[in-house]
Formats: sequence, C-alpha cells, structure tokens
Amino acid sequence: MNHDIAEFAVDYAKKRGAGYAEARLESSATSSFLLKNGVPEISEFESIHGMGMRIITKNALGFVSTNNFEKSRIKELIDRAARSAENAVKISEKVVLSDESVNESKYEVKQKKGFDDVSPKEKISILFEAENAVKETGISVPGRYISLSDTITEKFFVNTEGSRVYSRIPRPYMFYYLTIKNRGATSQRMWSYGATGGFEVVEKWDIPKLITEEVRGVWKNLTEGVSAPKEKLDVVVAPQVVGIMVHESIGHPCEADRIFGREAAQAGESFITKNMIGAKLGSSVITVVDDPTIEGSFGHYADDDEGVSARRKYLLKNGEINELLHNRETCTPLNLKSNGSSRASCYNRESIVRMSNTFLLPGSYKEEELISGVKKGVYIKNFMEWNIDDKRLNQKYVGAEAYMIEGGKTTVPVRSPSIEISTPALWKSVDAVADNTEYHAGTCGKAEPMQAMPVWFGGPSMRMKNVRVC
Amino acid sequence: MDVNDLHGLKKRFLKAGADDVVLLLDTQNSSQVKFSNNKVSVITNWDEGMLSVFVSAKNRLMSTNIKDLSEKTADKEVKRVMGILQVLPENKGYAGIFHGPAKYKKVEETYDQKIAGIGDGSIDLVEGVINDALANGAKRTAGILEMSETSSLLVTSNDVEAEEKGTRAYLSMRALVDEYASGHQVSNSRTLAGLKLKECPKQAAETAVLAKNPEAGSSGKFDVVFGSLPFANLLAEVGMASSAFHVESGLSCLAGKLNKKVAGENVSLHDDATMPNGFFSCSFDGEGVPTQKNTIINEGVLMTYLHNTSTAQRHKTKTTANAGIIVPKPFNLVLENGNLNKDEMISTVKKGLLVTNTWYTRFNNYEKGDFSTIPRDAIFLIEDGKIKKPVKHIRISDNLVRLLKNIEEAGKDASQVMGWENELPVFTPPVLVRKVNITRSTE
Repeated sequence: MNHDIAEFAVDYAKKRGAGYAEARLESSATSSFLLKNGVPEISEFESIHGMGMRIITKNALGFVSTNNFEKSRIKELIDRAARSAENAVKISEKVVLSDESVNESKYEVKQKKGFDDVSPKEKISILFEAENAVKETGISVPGRYISLSDTITEKFFVNTEGSRVYSRIPRPYMFYYLTIKNRGATSQRMWSYGATGGFEVVEKWDIPKLITEEVRGVWKNLTEGVSAPKEKLDVVVAPQVVGIMVHESIGHPCEADRIFGREAAQAGESFITKNMIGAKLGSSVITVVDDPTIEGSFGHYADDDEGVSARRKYLLKNGEINELLHNRETCTPLNLKSNGSSRASCYNRESIVRMSNTFLLPGSYKEEELISGVKKGVYIKNFMEWNIDDKRLNQKYVGAEAYMIEGGKTTVPVRSPSIEISTPALWKSVDAVADNTEYHAGTCGKAEPMQAMPVWFGGPSMRMKNVRVC
Repeated sequence: MDVNDLHGLKKRFLKAGADDVVLLLDTQNSSQVKFSNNKVSVITNWDEGMLSVFVSAKNRLMSTNIKDLSEKTADKEVKRVMGILQVLPENKGYAGIFHGPAKYKKVEETYDQKIAGIGDGSIDLVEGVINDALANGAKRTAGILEMSETSSLLVTSNDVEAEEKGTRAYLSMRALVDEYASGHQVSNSRTLAGLKLKECPKQAAETAVLAKNPEAGSSGKFDVVFGSLPFANLLAEVGMASSAFHVESGLSCLAGKLNKKVAGENVSLHDDATMPNGFFSCSFDGEGVPTQKNTIINEGVLMTYLHNTSTAQRHKTKTTANAGIIVPKPFNLVLENGNLNKDEMISTVKKGLLVTNTWYTRFNNYEKGDFSTIPRDAIFLIEDGKIKKPVKHIRISDNLVRLLKNIEEAGKDASQVMGWENELPVFTPPVLVRKVNITRSTE
C-alpha cells in the first residue's frame, strides 16, 4: 500500500485551497466459496485497491474516488471535486466538522491462522463437510445454499489536520440458506456468522454442527409445530431476536444523520429527535450500547473512517435515550465531539454514521428463570421474516424456531409466531433480562449507492409482558 | 487497457490450460448530487475501471479481477488463477459459455451526450427540482440526482467481442410536508430529455400535501391500488424469482410452476434487454449472447425462467440470454399496460388503499412467497371509489403468488422505476390488486 499517493492527494487539495481534505486509501482481498445443493458453483478471488477523498471548500462537501493512482488523474479529480463544491456553495449545507485531536495510530487485528495459510481446497472442504452432515441427519433439505468468505482490508487515512491512521482488519464470514421439507410443506431459515480474526475463528464456528442444529430445529418446528396463538401473551425472546430488535429499533433511530434528515430519501429518518436525550423509551432494565472496540467482533474497528478513535456509546441507559451515534458533521450542531461512528463500506463510498456492534447489556437472570415466570406464553429462539418502518417505530418479527411456554416450561414447537409492535411498546414491555449474551453477525444497509456494513447485534434473552402474538 | 490487451490476456489463459475465459472491462465516470433539507449534502464523483475475469478449466470455475495487464503482472496473474483452479472441486452442472461470433443490434436510446457532458450542470438541475417541490407545497426535500457514463467491453474465448457505451440519469425526490406527510417519486432514463425533472418534484410534493394529518390505518383485507413505485418493488421480487438459479436454490415462489397459472389473466410480464431507454438495456449478456425480449408470464401463465447456458442445459432448454455466468438475471422488467388510469382504478374500489411507496420487503419463505412489506410515504384510504383520508402505520403481509393472482387491473400509464429499495429497472403502470392482507402494529 503506497501511502505517499494519499499524502500527495491531501497536500494537493490543501494547496488548491481546500478548507479540509482527507484521503482514505484502501486495499482489500476477498476469497469466497459457494456450495449450492452440493455443487461448488464458483470460487471468487477479488482484490480492490482505490482511494476516496473528501474535500470541503467554502463549507461545501465534495467526495471523489478513483482506482487510478496516476498523480495527474488524482489532481484532475481533486480539481473537479473542489470545483463542484464551489459551484454548489449557494445551495449547499454548510458543513462544519468538529474539532478533534490529531490521531496518529496503527492498528492490526492479529490472526492465529492467516487466511492464506488455508488453501482454497481446505476452505471449500468445510462446506462439503456441512453438506455431508446435513445428509447424515436423514432430514429432507432440498435447498442447501452455504457460502464462506474471508476478507482482509487495509486502510490508510490521512487528513489536512495531521491525522494518519493505518489499519489492517481481517474478517471471515459465513452465510447459509436452508429449505427443509416435510411432505408438501417447507420451512426456510437463513443466518450468518461473521467476526474479525483469522481462520481459527471459522474452525471454532464448527459450520457442520451449526447447520445440522439449525436443520433439526426447523424440522422439529415443521413436523411438530402447532399454530401460533392469537392473543396477548408473555414472550421470551432469545439473543438472536433481541439482537435484531436492538439493531432495528434502537441502533438505527439513534443515527444522528437520520435524525437530521440526511438519509430521508434513502434509509429514512427517525422517531427520535435531537431534543429527546433523557426521554424514557423503555423499561429501566434496558441498557443498549454500540461498541466497536470489542476485539473479535464483526463490527470491530479501533478508529473510524474520519480518523476518530472508537469508543463504547450508551444509546439507551436504564430505558432512557442517552447518546446518539455521530460523525464529525452531525455532532457539530449539538456542540458535541464525534463519538467515532463514521464508516464507509469501501474506498468509493463517503463515510457516514453507522452502527458497529449494538447490543442489550445483560441482566442477572438465567434464561430458565425468565421462562419459569410465564404461565402461558411463547419462547422465540430465532426468526426469519422481519421489517420496520423508515422512522423505526413499527416493526414485525416472525419466529422460526419457537415453542409454547406452559406452566413455566417450554413445551410444543409453535409455527411462525408473529409480533407486530411499536418501538415504545416493545421496550416498555420488557420486565426481565437474562445473562446469556450472544452476538450475531449481519450486514447493515444504508446510503445510496447501498453501503453494506459488517455489524454484530445481540444481547441476552429478555421477557416481554403481555404483547400481542398472532 | 484496450481490446488488444484483453485478447492478449485471453490467449495467455488458454495457453495455460483454461477451457473458457470471459473478460469484462467496465469503466464508469459518474457524478451524484445528494440533497436533504433543501440543501446539497455532498457532491460525489466516481472514476472507476475494473477488469472482471472468469476462467474455467475442467469444470472448475473461478472469478477474479485484475488491475494491471503489464506483461510481467499478467503472467503472474495467469499463473495464480490456474494454480487455484487446479485445487478447486468440479462443478458438474457447468455447461460452458456461448459460442460466438454474433452480431449485436444496438439498443436505441441508451446514450446521450448531454448526460455524458453535463458536469456541474447537475447542480443547477438539483436547485430546480428542489424549488419546484417547494413551489408545489413541500416543506422539505431530499433525494439524489445521478448522472453516469459507462462502457463495457466483453471478450471471451469463444469468439465473442462486444462493446457498449451507455449513459444513465436517475432522480429520486422525496418531498415532506410534516412528520408523517411525504411523497416520493423517482425517474430513470438513458437520455436527459427522458428524465422527469418537472413531473417528479411536482408529483412528490402534491402527494405529500394530500397526505397531511394521517390517521392510524386498520388491519383486514383491502383492495389496493399500487402506484408504479411500490409495484415495481414487488415485481422486482418476481423478476428475481424467475432466475433459474434462484429456482434451484429454493429462493423462488415460481419453482415448479412452469406452464401453470401464477397470475391473473390480464398479467403479462416480460424481461426486455432490448427496450429503448431501458436502464439496464444491453445488446449482449454476460456470456456474449445477443439479448432478446423474454416473456416470463403470458396472460397469467408462467412461460419460462431466465437462463444462462448452464442453467438452460440443466433445465433442458435454451439460454434466454440472461447470463450472469452463474446467476441469470433480468435486465428490465416490463409489465404490459391495461386500460384504466389510476383514478379510474380508484373509482372501482369500494374499500381499499392507495399505496404510493413501499420498503423493507422480507420473506418468511421465498419458496412459498410469504412476505411482508411496509407502505412508506403517503397512504390513502379509498371508500366508495374516492380517496377518503390519509392513513399510516400499516403493513402488507401477504403471499406474492396470491397477490399476482389477485391483480384485477394493470393501469395504462407505465413508468420506468428503479431506486433505493429496488435496484432492478421495472416498467410498470399503477396496478389494482384485490383483497390484499393488511396488518398493523399494536400501540
């Protein structure tokens, strides 16, 4: 990675009169493998090298990207970006970045087993092992879509304020989509696993075991499941479900760029306003954080894509809205500092406010205790269908593997129990939180063109009192 | 990097033992003005070039990308790719790629010098659309104006050499009046003249004004008039379900339904890569097959899946010129027009809804087609053939095949729609669907 070209770009922008300029040089290498119904469809080996540059001229913001590193071309592009910003000044938002300390750092996620230490043959053999393990269950699984990929991303960030940040972050990722069949009926389930680290993480996942457990769970639900009750009940939701609830209805509405309307025509806005800090949103047992500093997490980074050091943010503290997710632009109108939440999915995308690892903090109960306190209810272990409106106020979650709770114990499987609920009603209904925290991987979508961002979401199981199930 | 470089690389791969080689050089020069709160948020310029490489040897398949084609680097890359291929397992379902040469018929209205040379002219256009929306009652606006010039050069080991240049213009305009009153319109065109720079902001703003003070909607069965934007989002799901790869993967509600009724008799859906002004129109597919118009659904009956050479062989048919070498994909979906305009459709509805946008479509079971999606922006309750009042907080929770079968009427005013929610171009008029299941959240 030639850092000099980034330094050159920033120097040139500064000489040209930019009030602020930054260059983000990025190099990534990805290998991915796909097994579809036992057939190795294709193996992909992609490498990306490019540079994105943000330039502020007369408080107007321009972004330009290229994968052509000829200096003359870079000069042309910076000229174009600066000229466009200048021409748009009369109708541009006045962009003012927060004052942040100069950051000079290098960060690297260590790998016990490098991705290149494992041959493509060995990698794809893991998928075949999963395929064989599914067959050995004896369960009819006509749709088996399993993929495994690994990416190493190197970034070098430099800006006109003197920050210079280098990072090297490897991320393995696995995704599966399964169709389980019983006579004429089918059930489907998809899930993914992701982390930062080396191939040792993939080995620890034990993909064949994960997938066969999934197959058995769905099979039991498909063959033995009863219809979902249609009444108000207590519901215990397990970490996967809690994770998606936290991500969708607390993480997203706390993104300050949505609150200020910058995503209004894309991912939408938020029911939270800038004046709602301290407002009660959930019960006092609910505390939600976003934390990029967790080593090994899929959403891990040490410094964000504006060169600001990452830290834990308490979005909801004891049920009250506590802090929003900010970059250097959104924090300024509130006289705050950035809390290091600016991320870009690739060198050719501007960095914007994003989640990292968003999760509910644990309580002191055991999951069994949550269940034992329910006379009649539903336990939802995981889900398939979900969605939420663009203000993050009305959402739906449909359970995949789920069970009735009767007399304080889980009993028969229940098919597709569905919860449609508003965000305040959801979080105010929670009376108890367990201690069994799990983190799950996802790719979060936002911006236009779409930026798919690696995140974790999670938490422990929690109990919701008296919510409508259908 | 030019066509000679690509032929040179192809020869190196063949000499090293490759069976099939597909090289696709894409270049893109684009600009985007993003605006929100009636101001420009950021202006982006992209300058990108990428050579995508597909190579097969003894039914072992891999793809990669190569940046540098200097002699030394090219040899190294060929050696790397062939080394990896040796250790990969065979894909016994792979049936090779199209054999050229072929003649390609240029698709009309796919390049406009006015887009290629627009430069900062986009900024003035954005100022114009913001002002038009405000003049029509919007209080806030947000959106995108994007202009791009692209070129694609395809060279394969089976005597294919094809090249296409194109331009694209995309406007997304969301107009907001208050917290729950908004309207959204998009326009996509390969020519600047085709971009609805006046109509989009006007319609978005007028819709938003009508949507003021919505009341919470009700659950139940409603006849729904979908605007072009939300119905394009649903048809895009049908388009993806028509890919033979997704049929094989358990990701299609059209699986097992060839030659069967999957929609109302008044529904005919095509995929047409040759559509003039089609956003993804192109004279060749990913293997170099000359593209064509494919009828997916004819008068309610499923006629074909979309194929490349390999899926066609597996399904004992011919390619429909929709490669993706692994995953066949639609280019531009086209729903045939019907007879009524939107207001005439509304007049036939006793109890129903007018939905102007949707987002966040998710499936509980792709094979069965069970899904839900959330109406976004203005929603109107229809009673006795008239718009009664705006509503909010509802969800469509239904089945995609049932919804297709319940199409009562396709309108007569089609628009080309592609946007944030749906990245596949769809030409569709407004559509009336009977008995759509509506749910809503508890308080």
